[in-house]
Amino acid sequence: MSLNIFICGVGGQGLVLLTSVIGDACAKSGKKIITGEMYGLSQRSGTVSVHLRIGEDAFSPLIPYGQADIIIALEATEALRYIEYLKKDGIILMNKRIMHPPIETSKIITSKGSKYITVEDIVSKLKNWTTNIAVVEALKLARESGNVNTENTVFLGCLSTLEIFPAEESNIRESISEAVPKKTVEQNLKAFELGKKSAHDALCTLVKCKDTP
Amino acid sequence: MVLKDVITKENKNAFMLCNEAIVRGALEADVKVVAFYPGAPTSEVLDTFSDALGNFDYQMEITTNEKVALEVCAGASFAGLRSLTAMKSVGANVASDTLFVLGYTGVRGGLVLVIADDPHAHSSQSEEDGRFFAPNAYLPMLEPSSPQEAKDMVKKAFEISERHRVPVIIRTVTRVNHQSGIVRLETFERKEFKKVKWKELKEEFTTLGEVARQKKLKMLERTARLAEEFEDSEFNIVENRDSDVGVIASSVSYLYVLEALKMLNLHGKVGILKLGTTFPLPKNVIKNFIRDLKKVVVAEELSPYLEKEIYAIAKGTNPSLVIFGKYSGTFSEAWEYNPNLVAKGIASAMGVEYPDYESVIREAKQLKAIIPDRYPTFCAGCPHRATFVALNQALRIQASKGQEHFFANDIGCYSMWVFPPISQSDTSLCMGASVGVANGLTHAIEERVVAAVGDSTFYHAAIPALIDAVHNGNKFTLLILDNSVTAMTGQQSNPSTEFTAGWKQGKKVSIEGICKAIGVEFLEIVDSYDVKNNVEVFRKALEFDGLSVVISRRECALYGDRNKRRRGEPIVPFYVDKSICKRPYMCLRTFYCPAYDVDEDQQPHISPELCDGCSVCSKLCPFQSIKRTEVKT
Repeated sequence: MSLNIFICGVGGQGLVLLTSVIGDACAKSGKKIITGEMYGLSQRSGTVSVHLRIGEDAFSPLIPYGQADIIIALEATEALRYIEYLKKDGIILMNKRIMHPPIETSKIITSKGSKYITVEDIVSKLKNWTTNIAVVEALKLARESGNVNTENTVFLGCLSTLEIFPAEESNIRESISEAVPKKTVEQNLKAFELGKKSAHDALCTLVKCKDTP
Repeated sequence: MVLKDVITKENKNAFMLCNEAIVRGALEADVKVVAFYPGAPTSEVLDTFSDALGNFDYQMEITTNEKVALEVCAGASFAGLRSLTAMKSVGANVASDTLFVLGYTGVRGGLVLVIADDPHAHSSQSEEDGRFFAPNAYLPMLEPSSPQEAKDMVKKAFEISERHRVPVIIRTVTRVNHQSGIVRLETFERKEFKKVKWKELKEEFTTLGEVARQKKLKMLERTARLAEEFEDSEFNIVENRDSDVGVIASSVSYLYVLEALKMLNLHGKVGILKLGTTFPLPKNVIKNFIRDLKKVVVAEELSPYLEKEIYAIAKGTNPSLVIFGKYSGTFSEAWEYNPNLVAKGIASAMGVEYPDYESVIREAKQLKAIIPDRYPTFCAGCPHRATFVALNQALRIQASKGQEHFFANDIGCYSMWVFPPISQSDTSLCMGASVGVANGLTHAIEERVVAAVGDSTFYHAAIPALIDAVHNGNKFTLLILDNSVTAMTGQQSNPSTEFTAGWKQGKKVSIEGICKAIGVEFLEIVDSYDVKNNVEVFRKALEFDGLSVVISRRECALYGDRNKRRRGEPIVPFYVDKSICKRPYMCLRTFYCPAYDVDEDQQPHISPELCDGCSVCSKLCPFQSIKRTEVKT
């Protein structure tokens, strides 16, 4: 059986780099992997998504609806935007961060009573699909690592703890070190560790993880 | 992407984007000259060749447009060198004048042309089916479905091209170009780059009149030879011939078919013909496949290109064959496919149930009704946003004086002006069309016509239309938005950049120099960030009784960030001083910067990790409450 991971977020959050690191780590671990990447028109601030499939019997670069085992949402609203891909009772790893698009803010200032969407709003909707939801404060952890741009690596840390994720940790660390800018390797490895730790707090009570440290 | 895998001479497996695998295939095939104009979904072919340039001795050009790119390749190929270009299908339209004659003239060194379609118009103005270039120009075409196959086909294409002296098209779609997977890398040797003596080659590459008539006959003979050869091609694969139901598929649809059969528990129970050589088609392979079938499903995106041929072949071979495709209403010619949609099609042919996905989508749709749309928009710090804020103010002033306007947009990051909440464009067609359309509109409408075009698009296709405007005395206003790079496709260099491919030093081609040389009388150059000054400049340009051109110049924010990082300069964000802010929302109302939101006190707030420090919003605030963060030293 293949492992299907749907990654989504906002342009600029490093989804493509994250995909490349996961793919490289899987290649190093001898796993077959196929991905379909969709980055639309804008370099920044648009919605970005990646279908990532590990295993011998994954043929299509797109995950069929309702067959993703995991959604990784680097931005909270994006978890809900692609919910049709997640299987019922699948796992959601989502950022606590919301990046309000300009169209939402323009409504707030022009129409009275208009309110921003909240993480609570999103989680309450997601619960109709699954209760395996881990909310990660990735931006805070990225700051803690010393580089605010490492949210993607925080999530890779979370993902690596799951028992169903097959790439070996030594390979993941090596792939990170090869893929990120030289100056940021240390920060990224720290973000990876922080991600692992946060997963143990938020996720491993819900689903099976590799041995706790 | 990991460049080391593209350039390694090691024999190993690597995880690669299809566009990188195309580059790898070309390097293994000893390509010597490559030329491109960037365009999604092929841009990473250009980027990868540019990044790898220091490691090999191939020549590379990032050209002004796709036609020039193909001609660069043709020139090199005439002299016997292997060459490659890649373009999106709308780019192939631009290159098509050259493309069609190359079928007549033929080539010498292998010439491979990647044409990428974009079903679903993810990043294009249309859902074009580029496959029709192949039969129309009598050029052989191969269609990969995966990165591995793309690499194999590129290598084979060079060989076919040289053997038959003809350019070979590799036709892809977005879901192939932007697909990554495990690719087998092979060791390779590269011959030293050497110039040749033309007089020793003794060949002509011409076509006209009687020459063309003779070459047409040769072209038909060549196509017949190719058709025969493709009957035995390793790229056409038949699986499970014993069934009386079959599926014929090509490109990414083949992968959807495999996935769909798994979903339907039909794996191994249905025959599959995977076509890789889609021009000329291997008619005998198709004939043999359909001869004993009762039903066949044709899975291909966009037009019924294969399906039409299959109908024609079935007429003589198996007239009672039931064909499930677009004519039967099983599939649509619109939009891209996916595994679920293909499963539904196959299920209808087989008369079996398919996994219900419509209800999944319906349920999801209900849940996500609460989330806001996230349209593409200008990045934080984007100079285009500042230009358009000033332009809008100028247009409002002119409107109060009774001058209405028409806005002709073009293709580039400034196309974002089309999307909500801004939605301010009257036309947006294709590369360079804003200026051509403006010429026509000046004859037809009473309003002042304003056109906008970026630097790269200006060089690409707008210059002829601007010359036309000067020559004919057409009166309109053209904004040339010069942000130094081809930003939308990933900040590739262009003649407005001081670099060329591989970030080698290049000579900048002056946009104002071109405008002056062709006789533009009203020409102003402004800094995009200087909104206050620019309002007045734009206003004068709108009032000018003739053709007025304003070059709004400031480097792309992302490119600027890259340069800052290289120089070790910090990006210093701004913040809103809440003690001064009186919430007139001038910073939000027209500016729509993604670094902004409003906080719990309804006051504007800037996210420091998103702010680019461009300072433009601070100049819009009537209370000077937007300030630069103190830099700790």
